Amino acid sequence: MTASVSAPTYGADIYTDQALLEPYEHYRALRELGPAVWLEQHEAFAVSRYADVRAVLLDSDTFRSANGIALNEPANRAILGCTLASDGELHAHLRKVVAHRLMPRSLRPMRELVTQRADELVAGLVERGSFDAVADLARALPLSVVPDFIGWPQEGREHLLEWAGANFDSFGPMNARAERAMPKCGEMAAFGAELVRTGNVLPGSLGAGVLEARDRGEVTTEQCMMLMLDYLAPSLDTTISAVGSAIWLFAQHPEQWDHVRADPALVPNAVNEVVRFESPIRAFGRLAETDTEIGGVPVPAGSRVLVIYASANRDERKFARADEFDVTRTDAVQQLGFGVGEHGCAGQALARMEAESLLTALARSVVRFRLDGPPERALNNLIRAFGTVPVTVERGA
Amino acid sequence: MRILVERDRCEGHGLCTEQAPEVFELDDDGVVVLRFEGREVPDEVAGAAARGVDVCPVAALRVDR
Repeated sequence: MTASVSAPTYGADIYTDQALLEPYEHYRALRELGPAVWLEQHEAFAVSRYADVRAVLLDSDTFRSANGIALNEPANRAILGCTLASDGELHAHLRKVVAHRLMPRSLRPMRELVTQRADELVAGLVERGSFDAVADLARALPLSVVPDFIGWPQEGREHLLEWAGANFDSFGPMNARAERAMPKCGEMAAFGAELVRTGNVLPGSLGAGVLEARDRGEVTTEQCMMLMLDYLAPSLDTTISAVGSAIWLFAQHPEQWDHVRADPALVPNAVNEVVRFESPIRAFGRLAETDTEIGGVPVPAGSRVLVIYASANRDERKFARADEFDVTRTDAVQQLGFGVGEHGCAGQALARMEAESLLTALARSVVRFRLDGPPERALNNLIRAFGTVPVTVERGA
Repeated sequence: MRILVERDRCEGHGLCTEQAPEVFELDDDGVVVLRFEGREVPDEVAGAAARGVDVCPVAALRVDR
């Protein structure tokens, strides 16, 4: 039995520019075809329905992350051994080294700082009236908070966004975007290794904690290098994507912004709804450890599986009016944009804190967002995001 | 219905407590505490309890029927 005869197949490349710009009709077609669909162009089974995405993510014994995360072998080899791309006890061990610093309890001292920075940033932008919601808002807050938190030295910060974007591009199929990204991924890895070698991280930071764990013998020097990348790479673009999408969505749906303004307690739900509607991370891969099945479709051992979060979050089987942006929907919290289970996003508390602080500050002073022209997408194999969203805000009393 | 928790896995995201404060709380260390530890969850809060289990980002909670 081969995969191609037992599962429905899909012939389109879902990583072309056009498909990355307009992915949702591809995802709908995949959901219609079945629980697991063989992607001929990418040699992987697409999992696109909510129930199956959740089931695969929760069954991390069968669907492994090591050698599974990216759609190409060079990228999988490059990240092997980082938390994202490890399994079982090794994964639990590595995650423990840093996850405790990202727990909501540990982040309590950060809340004041993040709230203050968000308030200052929003006050300045509202005063200006017109700004780029990506460069001036979505990027500005994470860049003013996260590099210090992780402990990245001042030198090298200018490369952070470029390297992180390359890291995400490399996780796609080996298309032109991934090929261009590989050298930059190497630069980032070399920088991470250099940080571990020199110990040049800010005192008291997450990165410093990783080095202390090494000094206590809890992780090896090599694991340290991977851990540095684990939490440097994904801490910016994801949050930036969500905040940029939020402003774009609220500009188009002023009645949704009215809901948030009328009841700021809706902000956490609104953040979930943004992540549901425009999931920052499209998909991650897994590798089937044994012969198994997904929703009844046989999946042979060794198969690559593409778990499409952005499709699960638009699944009409799960979410009523799935293609409507509605900050009042009660099940937005069930979105899978942060993943779920052992590999669920470790940084989600910090991400939520940043996004919620910005929307809360905006809700106090902005009545309307108006687009000053068409926003531009920043195309990336993994991240769905805007490069610019020019807006003018109308201020409240 | 009973709720089972793997405390080792809990990272204190607190989404369960938002769904069902009558069933879940966080202790001073930010780790989940079950108000009905080792006991049946009363029927009137069973729905909320199940929602709390569902939204755990790290799957530290389970329903044992």
